[in-house]
Amino acid sequence: MKSLSLLAWLSLSLVASAWTEHFSFEEIAGPPGVDPQVGAMETLADGRLAVAFHRGEVMIYDPVAKTWTAFASGLQEPLGMLADKDGSLLVMQRAELTRLRDTDGDGSADSYETVFDDFGMSGNYHEFAYGPARDAQGNLYIVLGVASNGASMAKEIRGEFSKIGKVDFAGMSTRETWGKNRGAAGRMYARVKWRGWVLKLSPDGKTMEPFASGFRSPNGIGFDAAGRLLITDNQGDWRPTSPLYDVKKGGFYGHPASLVWTPGWDGKDPMSMPVPELDKLQQPAIGYFPQGELANSPTWPVVIPKGSFPETWTNHTLIGEMNQKNLVRVLEDKVDGTLQTALVPVFDGSPLGMGSNRLAFGKDGVLYVGKTALSWAGGKGITRIKWNGKAFLALDQIKAQKQGFALRFSQPLDAATLDKLTVSRHTYDYHQAYGAPKKDLTKLEVKNAKLSADGQTLTFEIGELKEKYLHFIDMTALRGKDGGKVLGSKAWYQVIKAPK
Amino acid sequence: MAAPDGAQLFTNNCSACHLLDQMVVGPSLAEIRGLYLGKPDDFVKWCVAPKKKRENVIEMPSMVHVGDEGLRAIYDHIMKVAEGVKAKKQDPGDPYKTSATYTARPQVQRIFMPNAGPASIAVALDATNSLCWDAGECRLRYAWTGGFIDGFPYWRGNGSSVAAVVGTVKYTEAQSPFGTGKEVKFLGYTMKDKLPTFRYQIGAQTVTERFTPLKEGTGFQRTFAVTPTPSAPMTLEFTAQDGVTITSDKGKMDGTKLTLAPADAATFTLTISLK
Repeated sequence: MKSLSLLAWLSLSLVASAWTEHFSFEEIAGPPGVDPQVGAMETLADGRLAVAFHRGEVMIYDPVAKTWTAFASGLQEPLGMLADKDGSLLVMQRAELTRLRDTDGDGSADSYETVFDDFGMSGNYHEFAYGPARDAQGNLYIVLGVASNGASMAKEIRGEFSKIGKVDFAGMSTRETWGKNRGAAGRMYARVKWRGWVLKLSPDGKTMEPFASGFRSPNGIGFDAAGRLLITDNQGDWRPTSPLYDVKKGGFYGHPASLVWTPGWDGKDPMSMPVPELDKLQQPAIGYFPQGELANSPTWPVVIPKGSFPETWTNHTLIGEMNQKNLVRVLEDKVDGTLQTALVPVFDGSPLGMGSNRLAFGKDGVLYVGKTALSWAGGKGITRIKWNGKAFLALDQIKAQKQGFALRFSQPLDAATLDKLTVSRHTYDYHQAYGAPKKDLTKLEVKNAKLSADGQTLTFEIGELKEKYLHFIDMTALRGKDGGKVLGSKAWYQVIKAPK
Repeated sequence: MAAPDGAQLFTNNCSACHLLDQMVVGPSLAEIRGLYLGKPDDFVKWCVAPKKKRENVIEMPSMVHVGDEGLRAIYDHIMKVAEGVKAKKQDPGDPYKTSATYTARPQVQRIFMPNAGPASIAVALDATNSLCWDAGECRLRYAWTGGFIDGFPYWRGNGSSVAAVVGTVKYTEAQSPFGTGKEVKFLGYTMKDKLPTFRYQIGAQTVTERFTPLKEGTGFQRTFAVTPTPSAPMTLEFTAQDGVTITSDKGKMDGTKLTLAPADAATFTLTISLK
């Protein structure tokens, strides 16, 4: 009896069921005396890690010596960074895109060159600035958050003020009487230029093209492996839950405040436009992060390099998240040429914690997660995550089918558990109110769940897929052939186009 | 679907900001229990449409997505777990106040400043002379003596407050000495000996402006370079104020007006002495 139970225990311990059996999570000691809230991170050509912090320092971490050196300081809320070939760093801060350059070779920046600052600032705290992301031609893309009616504008602003809106400049900029005006200001507002816009800059920053509008609090911008510009945004007004967008030139992405800056705009107040009219203007999200379940404040997208995760993950997009204790993996699908995605948690139930604001991969494949809070829910410091190279059971691909889905797993499944798969779907109302409940939440009967000959592809039917619905596939009760659980066992697939 | 699980809903939707016995992002469960015990309807109403209630605390986002039934389950959960729990008091001060990173002088810090544009740069020239330079308007706004700034009102949260000036403002410029109405463009700054040299365009000319401190708390010097050299004499105007003496190493100072011959405008140094 005793030997049998030992055997049972041994076999149990060999079953992969937790992220911690495959990844190590280690806190990096931050630079002493520095508020360790991370706003931007970038791996340099030599493998060191450049990190920008909340109070404006840019510090360089040497992962071999485990030391920090100061590169720059005094920036305001840096929230994005790119290394350039010449060794300079492009950093997006509240007021401008700045190029930091060490011209005398002493290891720290002595030139803080303004690359681009031709956008408005109302002095409102919520006007964060994000980017840059760089396309294959070297053009830079930045995206500007809109202001929150949690506060007024400042008395002095930078740039032009838009007269479109129910409250005039005096009302918008008087802190003392803000309580009276904030209700009419719009939950989020864009009374100064290019707030809520993606701006495309030439590589030298000297020419700018307004590229796309409709953003609210887009704390994530980056190109995916296929060269698409991905932007995440935060749940709130006009955002029933946090969306993921594939951003194209000229597109409007749902938050109306920015529309007033559309070249040639006719002067009408977008906040007074009928919702169906706005709905018709907007481009659909390619994915949705359900609030409270997958992500409340998704962050930066990065492309997974070879060697950091199992090979099937290479070139997939990984996204950070502030509130939930997980990251998010993007599984893409195409129906008749329309890109749509399933979003899947990564490191849920691990020691990762909250506040995953910025992600960067080291040259050795290690994943660095930089955290922040800025008085919201979140964390601080940098977590270093390393894969031990061992395979595990996870969802690798998802394909919408006429009557259901085909899911491709990294390892064979146990056919006896297929009846435990559950699927439901819901949609959201597009409206000005802050967030939205799930609408028309329906549990779907799963039929004909079948495995391929190799046991790794699961197909099942739920009837026709429904457009504009978020389909939730819960694989938590599925087991691998060896009895192990699926790591990242939930998938939310947004159907823009249903296969016909 | 099944009856909502208050504990699970709390974990997914609330635990990021609300701890049992201490304020983090929002108030503790102990405090919430004190506010809402016996008032589940008020609790639900608040969660669906929260408002800005406390200074220096962010506004709670609506929890409408949880639904009425779910919010009631969360309410029951909070009332149960917080029973008999007392909230801890916390120190709201800046944990990095004495950190060498922020106490080093000189220091340049971009931050929201009072009585200046939103693209302001605070500069500590040394331990006692500081100034506020506005990168939006490309001009000095004011200078003070005493200390530097307290950035904690801004840094403690998400930037919804301006930094405080530590010391006494002794000199304010109402407008650029180069005059108003010309288009300006900020080009950035270079650092030497930890002090900045600002670069900007004003009309057709590029100006550099470098600040250095006079001895403790008595003012500063600013050295300008203008390119291309102007073709006609240039006049700079300053704002008259008590206790301030402005001298120039070049040109002719007449009250608050400085006239420079074209060659002198290429580079000149002003000394601003403060009482």
